[in-house]
Amino acid sequence: MKNLRLKAARAALDLSQQQLADDVGVSRQTINAIEKGDYNPTIKLCIAICRRLGKTLDELFWEG
Amino acid sequence: MDHYHAGAALGISVGILAGLFVIVLLFKKKVLDMHFDERQERARGKAFQYGFFTLLIAVYAYGVSDVMFGKWCDVLTGVTLCVAAGLCVFAVTCILKDAYLSLREKPRTVMTMFALLSLLNLGIGGRHAWSGELVEGGVLTFRAVNPIIGFATLVILAVYIVNHLLRSREEEAE
Repeated sequence: MKNLRLKAARAALDLSQQQLADDVGVSRQTINAIEKGDYNPTIKLCIAICRRLGKTLDELFWEG
Repeated sequence: MDHYHAGAALGISVGILAGLFVIVLLFKKKVLDMHFDERQERARGKAFQYGFFTLLIAVYAYGVSDVMFGKWCDVLTGVTLCVAAGLCVFAVTCILKDAYLSLREKPRTVMTMFALLSLLNLGIGGRHAWSGELVEGGVLTFRAVNPIIGFATLVILAVYIVNHLLRSREEEAE
């Protein structure tokens, strides 16, 4: 399932996939795969992304 | 061991040492790097698995072919063929999963290196083929190692370029 909330949060900060990837220490393809729902990140990477985007885990990754 | 084989063994050993030296140098200069993110590590694990089983099957197939048809290539050539098959499967799987290059490697630099390596080895292979030293008495000699390596690197390079072009088009469409 696509993670549109992550994409929206990134776009709201005017960050490119590459910029976010550099900030959290992964490749651009990994951010792309998470946004497309092709890859389930570890909790460690989820937290790093949340910290960078100023969001909580629930806001970005919880499918309630 | 006669002078010819001693010379060949010395030449191969020096070649391997020189190759190792160049690889270490490239790592020191940060041209090659082994830092991968978690998705890449996972994808490479799967690729290693595929590459390993390809190597096993290739080695077994080589052994069976030797028993069934007799000696058709030097052992070094046969081993190189098996390793090249395993490496190609590993590299192609990694490329298709966007996990071949590490976070710090520059695609253009690495692929230029691959192109040079391929050209050099295919060139050496072509020279041996021209002088008729590639096949002697119906047996593929150890001189075929160069063209095998050249062809394997060419396959990896081609897959990387095609995959890169296709991905770029997909991303543009998104």
